[in-house]
Amino acid sequence: MLNTPTTPPSAPRPRIGQHLLRRLAQLPRDTRDTLFLLGLIGWVVVLQAQHLPAWCLGLTAMVLLWRGALSWRGQPLPSRWWLLGLLGLTVGATLLTHRTIFGREAGVTLIVVLLALKTLELRARRDAFVVFFLALFTLLTHFSYSQSLLTAAGVLLATWGLLTGLVNAHMTAGRPPLWLAARTAGRMALLGAPIMVVLFVLFPRVAPLWGLPADAHTARTGLSERMRVGQVAQLAQDSSVALRIKFDGPPPPPQDLYFRGPVLSHFDGVEWQPLRSRLPPSMQLGAELQPLGEPTGHEVTLQPHQQPWLLLLDAAAQAPTLPGHTLRMTPDLQWLSDRRITELVRYRASSHLRFRHGPQLPELGLQDALELPPGFNPRTMALAQQWRQDSLNQPSPEAALVQRALALLRTGGYTYSLSPGLYGTHSADEFWFDRKLGFCEHIASAFVLLMRSLDIPARIVTGYQGGEANPVDGFWTVRQSDAHAWAEVWLSGQGWLRVDPTAAVAPDRTTSLARLEPQRGLVGTAMQGLSPAMLQRLRASWEAVNNRWNQWVLNHNQDRQLDLLRRLGFESPSWRELGYVLAALLAAVGVLGAAWALWAHRQHDPWLRLLHTARQRAARAGLQAPDHATPRQLAQALQRQCPGHAHTPPLVAWLLALEALRYAAPSSPPTSSPTPTSRQLKPLRQQWAVLRWPTLPPHVPTPDNAHPT
Amino acid sequence: MTNASASPLPLWRAPRQWLSAGLTRLLAARTPRTDHLVLTQRNVYILPTRPGWMLGVTLLVMLVGSINYQLNLGYLLTFLLAGAAVVGVHVGHGTLCGLALKLAPPAPCFAGASARLAVELISTRRSPRHGIGLAVAPAHHTAALEWAHVDVPAQGSTHLTLGWQPPRRGRHPLPNLAAETRFPLGTFRVWSVWRPAATVLVYPQPETHPPPLPPASPKAGTAAAAHTSARQGEWDGVRAYRRGDPLKAVVWKRAAQAMARGSADLVSRAQADHSPHELWLDWRATGTADAELRAARLTAWVLQADQLGLDYGLRLPHTTLPPAQGSPHRLHCLEALALC
Repeated sequence: MLNTPTTPPSAPRPRIGQHLLRRLAQLPRDTRDTLFLLGLIGWVVVLQAQHLPAWCLGLTAMVLLWRGALSWRGQPLPSRWWLLGLLGLTVGATLLTHRTIFGREAGVTLIVVLLALKTLELRARRDAFVVFFLALFTLLTHFSYSQSLLTAAGVLLATWGLLTGLVNAHMTAGRPPLWLAARTAGRMALLGAPIMVVLFVLFPRVAPLWGLPADAHTARTGLSERMRVGQVAQLAQDSSVALRIKFDGPPPPPQDLYFRGPVLSHFDGVEWQPLRSRLPPSMQLGAELQPLGEPTGHEVTLQPHQQPWLLLLDAAAQAPTLPGHTLRMTPDLQWLSDRRITELVRYRASSHLRFRHGPQLPELGLQDALELPPGFNPRTMALAQQWRQDSLNQPSPEAALVQRALALLRTGGYTYSLSPGLYGTHSADEFWFDRKLGFCEHIASAFVLLMRSLDIPARIVTGYQGGEANPVDGFWTVRQSDAHAWAEVWLSGQGWLRVDPTAAVAPDRTTSLARLEPQRGLVGTAMQGLSPAMLQRLRASWEAVNNRWNQWVLNHNQDRQLDLLRRLGFESPSWRELGYVLAALLAAVGVLGAAWALWAHRQHDPWLRLLHTARQRAARAGLQAPDHATPRQLAQALQRQCPGHAHTPPLVAWLLALEALRYAAPSSPPTSSPTPTSRQLKPLRQQWAVLRWPTLPPHVPTPDNAHPT
Repeated sequence: MTNASASPLPLWRAPRQWLSAGLTRLLAARTPRTDHLVLTQRNVYILPTRPGWMLGVTLLVMLVGSINYQLNLGYLLTFLLAGAAVVGVHVGHGTLCGLALKLAPPAPCFAGASARLAVELISTRRSPRHGIGLAVAPAHHTAALEWAHVDVPAQGSTHLTLGWQPPRRGRHPLPNLAAETRFPLGTFRVWSVWRPAATVLVYPQPETHPPPLPPASPKAGTAAAAHTSARQGEWDGVRAYRRGDPLKAVVWKRAAQAMARGSADLVSRAQADHSPHELWLDWRATGTADAELRAARLTAWVLQADQLGLDYGLRLPHTTLPPAQGSPHRLHCLEALALC
């Protein structure tokens, strides 16, 4: 085999790929730069792709490809009318899609198309700036959708590309390779990183300067204030993180991990909504929370959900610590902030897993939890009527009725399912009698309706239940798929009691936190080939990295900054101290820079430095000598210009000694170092200190005789 | 001389140009004239460009956006760009700082043509310097500078030639030269003003269609006619044909032989050097009273006479150059014409 030639005798035909590469390497500079910018713009747009309407993506792709083809073939750019026409089309389409050309969504759409259209009148180098600024704005808007690690990586790549484009545009001569510009840009970004870190850590975080437009925060998946049957099931398909918790001690048992969200008491037949009481406020129910047992301290990192409520382990008697927000507790134990949670927040709370709340005796306010819209679910009403008659003679019928309903759920052939299908008008009837199939909100809704039909005050609580520990960093992670709906019933003498009807249908849901797996997509199916344990470990590591990112980057707020100052030794830090530290750091950097510049400017060779001193002194004495006179030239000038002076001979001797130190006579053996060291110069320097200079008549240099031509 | 003739633009007409011209003049005033300039912190200046200001505004807007939308990544992006821009100032300054500029003594040129200023850019740095522009500062500060861009390799040098059109004949100091770079981001302009010490000699522009050369006059002190006839037909040897040789000086016999061999070289009889006639180009005998036209005509004649290989002398108001020929003589004559 060794003897056989490795290459066939006839040269292989160049493949299309090779041909393309060769063509790329030989492109004229303008074409190459244009193609690079087009690719860059493409990347910026791809980052935004999921937030853009389809027509915008199509138009952008078309324009970019068109422009690319034009520059590849070296054809002239289209006329301005094309541009105007496309622009008009864009504005029209934006108006149709967003009903406005202002606001964030419409703005992003417009800016992306502008970026693409700009390329149609792009002269690569000159317009690099326009592209740069437009792309920067586009990138910034991207952050309001996502600030994840992946987004950051994508934007970092785009920023690098943009800087490369600028550097390339200012490498004005010849056709330098792109990697050279990329390297310079990367180096600049790396060197600028310390500045970025200092500014990021210390730049005072302030509240928004003015109110945001209404569409500033588009709804993202998560709990909402309204619950339509079928909604939580959608959330169950979303495995993104909702909140992360760090418990002070070991995590409580899974069946106690209820995180309270909105409490829904008002039902209009289709949708559950928060309490809309017709009673005067004084008659409505109060919280009346009585904590029992030891509190469980925990720290919650809540992903921004654009809603005012905080999610806490049920039930927190004390307000969580969240600076910058004013918190209050609602009568149904929810904690609300005065503004929406639009950024990642972290707060400490302590909750009592065991507690009582609500009135112990019947009150008028309980009427709100008994309201039923007339004309809905007749069969459930009939069932309730029958059950009530069955329990007429019992001493405390309510508790027994609750147990009876739970027993029915356990034994009646009911199934917990992610895709129960669409429910009609009489959703409770359908659940109880026809389908016997539902997700937690179907079960909870049907249960509460049955309770109310039985004259037992009941309401729905939404929130999250369960979660899982990340084995990598020990944080307890609650996902959107942990969203849950359960019920609270009011029993005389006990107040509100948590009843989880889903637990009756599927006990695993709450105890061992088993989840229904949504159907896998294409990627999910492909991933299944990997070992599940490894997959889980990968996911855990990825989430631990994400959590670090959240903790250190996204959650770097004023609180953190003040903490840092406290650690630096400030007693009661405030904004002003932050400014001081920032200013002090900047000043220190400035002083260091100046010192370095001074050092770099200074002559480092001690011999040259001494010669320079001598030249300056000679010039001050009025000696006429060239700017860069050697010691011998200086001596000669001295002898010529003041021959008889008493100071001349010692000066001449000194200068010649200075010369001898550097330029030894040819006969003498070579010294080890060609340049004299500071120590060798010491005697000369001492002599210099006592030398006197003659004063020569002042000499006025004019351009003509200073520089003979 | 050149700058003095440029009338300064009023402040209210073009404030930017006024400012920049004023700044350049101010900076030029504190730089000594030299042909070998090393750019240091003392003579390199930095100012933001228009895109630089734009970048500042953009960063400010991005910062406000980050504050308002509470985007920590927005802060990061803004500060990253700010950091890169600050480093860019340093990189740009480093691109120019430490660069040595050396001007070769410019060759004389004719008025109306461009003097070629050959500049050598020498870098001792271990990395290349990109995007360095050199330009001649224009006499009128409204005129745009024409930058010639060049990269200087690491520890090497590059040559760059700038063209400059001197205003008229004479010896002129060179105009101020400007060196700048906008590398790497174009947000800051790093520049320096250089006042070369060298001067350039500008010969008068030769007249385009001058009258024929004046007739040669007999040498002073000889009997012209007799001498001429006596010398007729006396030849000292042969030499290659030069344009302007009279037909009868051509050795036709040799020409026929050469043609037979297939070449067209003509041979003339060489006349003895001690010609009795002298060609004097006289300032007062140019047929015109205008001084510049006189200089132009004399220049054209000098060039013509030189081309014909004649002996010629030049009489100017203050100088007289005795008849001679050859390149050094021509240059002497042209210099005298430039400075008269």
